[in-house]
Amino acid sequence: MTHSIEKDRTFIESKYHRTDEPFNPFIRMAYHGTGYAPETGLDDLDIRSGLEVLAAEHADLPHSLQKAHAVAYILDNTRLYVSPHDYFVGIDAWCRMIAQTTIRKWEKDVFATLPPELIEFQYAARQGGALDMRPDYDHSVPDWQSILSLGFPGLLQRIFHHREHHRNAQRLNPERAAFFDAMTIEYRAILRLLERMRRCAEAQLFEKSPILSKCLAHLHDGPPTDTYEALQTIYLFFLICESVDHYQVRSLGNGLDASLRPFIQRDLASGRWTELHIRTFLSYFLMQFSAIGNYWGHPFYLGGSDEQGRCTVDDVSYLILDVYDTLHIYNPKIQIKIGAGTPAAFRRKALDMIRRGTSSIVFVCEDAMIRAMMGYGATLQEARTADISGCYEYRVRGNENVTLSIYLNLLKAVQLVFGNGTDHDTGFQLGPPTGHIHTLQTFSDFRTACLRQLDALIDQAIRFTDCYEGRLEDINPSIMLTPVCENALRRGIPAYAEGMSYNNSSLLCIGFASAVDTMMTVKKMVYDERRITLDELKAALDANWDGYEPIRRAVRRLPFKFGNHEPETDALAEAFSSYLLGRINLRPNSRGGIYKAEMHAALHFRSFGSACGASPDGRRQGDELSKNASPSVGMDRNGATALILSALKLHPQQYMEGFCLDVMLHPSAVAGEDGMKAWDALLETYRKGGGASIQFNVMDAAILRDAQEHPERYRNLQVRVCGWNVLWNNLDPQEQAAYIERAENIR
Amino acid sequence: MIRGRIFDIKRFAVHDGDGIRTTIFFSGCPLRCLWCHNPEGIAPEPRLAFHRQRCSQCGDCLSLCPKSALATGPDGTPLLDRDRCTGCGVCAAACQNEALVRCGRDVTIEDLLPVLLEDRPFYDNSGGGVTLSGGECLLQDEFCEPLLRELKAEGIRTAVDTCGFVTREAIDRVAPWTDDFLYDIKALDDVVHSRCTGRPCGPIPDNLRHLDKIGARIEVRIPFVPGYNDGEIDRIGQFLADLDRRPRVRLLPYNPFAGSKYESLGMKNPLPGLPPPDEDHLAEARRRLASCGLTEDRPDAVERV
Repeated sequence: MTHSIEKDRTFIESKYHRTDEPFNPFIRMAYHGTGYAPETGLDDLDIRSGLEVLAAEHADLPHSLQKAHAVAYILDNTRLYVSPHDYFVGIDAWCRMIAQTTIRKWEKDVFATLPPELIEFQYAARQGGALDMRPDYDHSVPDWQSILSLGFPGLLQRIFHHREHHRNAQRLNPERAAFFDAMTIEYRAILRLLERMRRCAEAQLFEKSPILSKCLAHLHDGPPTDTYEALQTIYLFFLICESVDHYQVRSLGNGLDASLRPFIQRDLASGRWTELHIRTFLSYFLMQFSAIGNYWGHPFYLGGSDEQGRCTVDDVSYLILDVYDTLHIYNPKIQIKIGAGTPAAFRRKALDMIRRGTSSIVFVCEDAMIRAMMGYGATLQEARTADISGCYEYRVRGNENVTLSIYLNLLKAVQLVFGNGTDHDTGFQLGPPTGHIHTLQTFSDFRTACLRQLDALIDQAIRFTDCYEGRLEDINPSIMLTPVCENALRRGIPAYAEGMSYNNSSLLCIGFASAVDTMMTVKKMVYDERRITLDELKAALDANWDGYEPIRRAVRRLPFKFGNHEPETDALAEAFSSYLLGRINLRPNSRGGIYKAEMHAALHFRSFGSACGASPDGRRQGDELSKNASPSVGMDRNGATALILSALKLHPQQYMEGFCLDVMLHPSAVAGEDGMKAWDALLETYRKGGGASIQFNVMDAAILRDAQEHPERYRNLQVRVCGWNVLWNNLDPQEQAAYIERAENIR
Repeated sequence: MIRGRIFDIKRFAVHDGDGIRTTIFFSGCPLRCLWCHNPEGIAPEPRLAFHRQRCSQCGDCLSLCPKSALATGPDGTPLLDRDRCTGCGVCAAACQNEALVRCGRDVTIEDLLPVLLEDRPFYDNSGGGVTLSGGECLLQDEFCEPLLRELKAEGIRTAVDTCGFVTREAIDRVAPWTDDFLYDIKALDDVVHSRCTGRPCGPIPDNLRHLDKIGARIEVRIPFVPGYNDGEIDRIGQFLADLDRRPRVRLLPYNPFAGSKYESLGMKNPLPGLPPPDEDHLAEARRRLASCGLTEDRPDAVERV
């Protein structure tokens, strides 16, 4: 076997989308790759027709069975991919085709039953960039341990076992029976798919086909037996969930190193595979996700502790990181889980990769993670072994289902005060009347009005979300997910209902620094220094600052901006953060769980920003909001240490779902051995100070400016945007300018 | 109350001594190095910098100057008469774009301490601390000594970055409160030194010997400027090898990025267009130093992780 990844790279890319056409990662589901043999199944058009017929036939069945039949139909009929250039298989129908006849339809049905005033509020809040609320199925992490130890047939046996158990206990009511039948249908279909793939591989004569067909035969009959089969299992489970079952596994492995460790150690000890073989398999595995090109970056994590709190980093962790490094890819992205026991060498290897241009690495501090999770009831052992899902979210392993259901624009709450609850951008009354601005005599009055607007947005968002979240399982039955969460099987309750021990919902806070800077501007300019009245400020905002440039400049120059360790600003930020946490954390949701606050802007700092009018912090209409716990663009003037100290004031460990800070560093600050040691100390100070997640961009404004002028020279230049790494060339010029502005301020 | 004059404070400085540091840049320097990167710190008096590209041509500054040193230039940006400007900074205070900046301000120890202590957790985790630099900080030894003493009382590690062209008294005054000296050696031949810095070596070699004798922890820094002082490496190496204890030695390769600073200060860049040294040239210099037993390693350094 030769390590021919470079040669095969283009073929793997074209498996997911045509490489001779421009690729837009934001509409990736619309793409089709090449290399799927026509004789192995139906094309998209025929499958869609088949699904329509099936939907009509099964219209009277419970949703779980309707969905399972639809999934099975696709798995039985989709065209297959087996290639001399790839160790991994593929399925043609990968764009969630069941949605049209099932999930999307059922979602509409559920939303049609919601109170009209809430629907109207949701529409208005979205139009004005105040809130975004949506059903979410894409942030769970399965218990990979059970998948890898049981394999697909073992999971099917587990479904039988629990079905039998419920039958014997007289608990198998028709609804439960239907759900168990649905799981059976879907997992049997997976076994048939494996058999179809095996036959397809066996019929081919190329170097990789014997090992591929043997692997598929093994997976059809039992659990994976070696590293290659374990990787194939992870990939297949991901692929079927992602593209057919309409649910995304938001981490590859419970720690990819932890999940692969027993296989790799056994293979190396027995001589089954050499290290070179394992590196090759890992390379082809990682290349799949690079080729798929999810714009958010598909995640896996490395490191962390075991139940006893002992660091788990070992040769396998280094090996995976090293393979990733040699591939020069930016997707999947990697979280490095760090704690007191993490070796400095491991942290520094990751930092060195960032320094050399791999920015798809984020550090997640397990000290903060443990405190956050124990805050909502997780045991110490559960918190120590918790998974990182998505960007930086925390999950009790195999036993916590969380929806990222509410995205909240914090700046909007402040803006609503200027309109007495009416949104200037849409004319909708989004918040309660908090008084005409004339009546706000003191800053305390103003701040109280802000908090009341914030309360109202949170309350309404939760009211709306609670109305439909109790019916998530009706909308999208968790057929693939439930069998990999034994607690749900044991209870006989599906995973999106209350099957897991933790069934939580999260609320993401967006524009934190923008909101704080705005409040501080009002405090200083209006109340403390009396340089402008609220009426004048409102007039300036209504005019999008046009004609008010001197005031805008004065506002921008004010030193009271979050992220600079400025005492008065930090005090207000801390109080605001505490208030926010008190209003969100532990509020009951409608699935027997709670709401968890997260300081994470996703991509909403852009969409909310573009819907939002000018704000008192000097921001113009349409400009982006601040990201994560980071300062507003260009407003961090005191360097990385000041930024970290400000962020730590917000009590990151109390954000129960996650908290992330982005730090931009100048290349000269991290150059050489001195720079590396200092950088590592920066990271450790953040961790020891209670920091949660942190990601670094090492950027030089001059390089960025050159990249803006000569995009062709910087095809691989990427920046991290709130947990997603994006290629520089995919940012629009306005966004690029914002990055350059921030880089220019790096001290 | 004693006052010092500084032109900048830089946090998260990682190349001014061990670990993460906060560096204070003091105004005023006895030398005029051709490659100086902080020309705003050469004169002891405050000086006005004008960053033309930031100017929005608002005209706010024009009428404010008490010396009438500002007039409207042909492109709408202010024209600064340097002969009249006293660096008082009235215009800079009014400039909303930070196009006009006053380099140099007076501070007390009470002003500085809270700022310098802010990053204590970072110092603790990195073995870092506070570095006094410049300009030449030891021209203000009467201010630096109590400042360093206060820092030591707070348990902060201290470093002094000096060109050595200062009095023995100044050195002795700060030495008890200084953990590390960063000591510049540019040349040892008086002719070369004069050509490069405007002054002969003067007290520089003796002050370094003295620090060595009293057991100071020293890192010697050699700016490496091809065509100017690169012929001095062997001589410097020999001199350092003869000290009682071999110091850590670091080459600082010339980099050409101070051009815009000179322009903003209305000063002539003494080395326009000089390229940075190439890697081979640097490696050769390092090799020569190594042949004298001098490297960048610090044998007594204990890394805190």
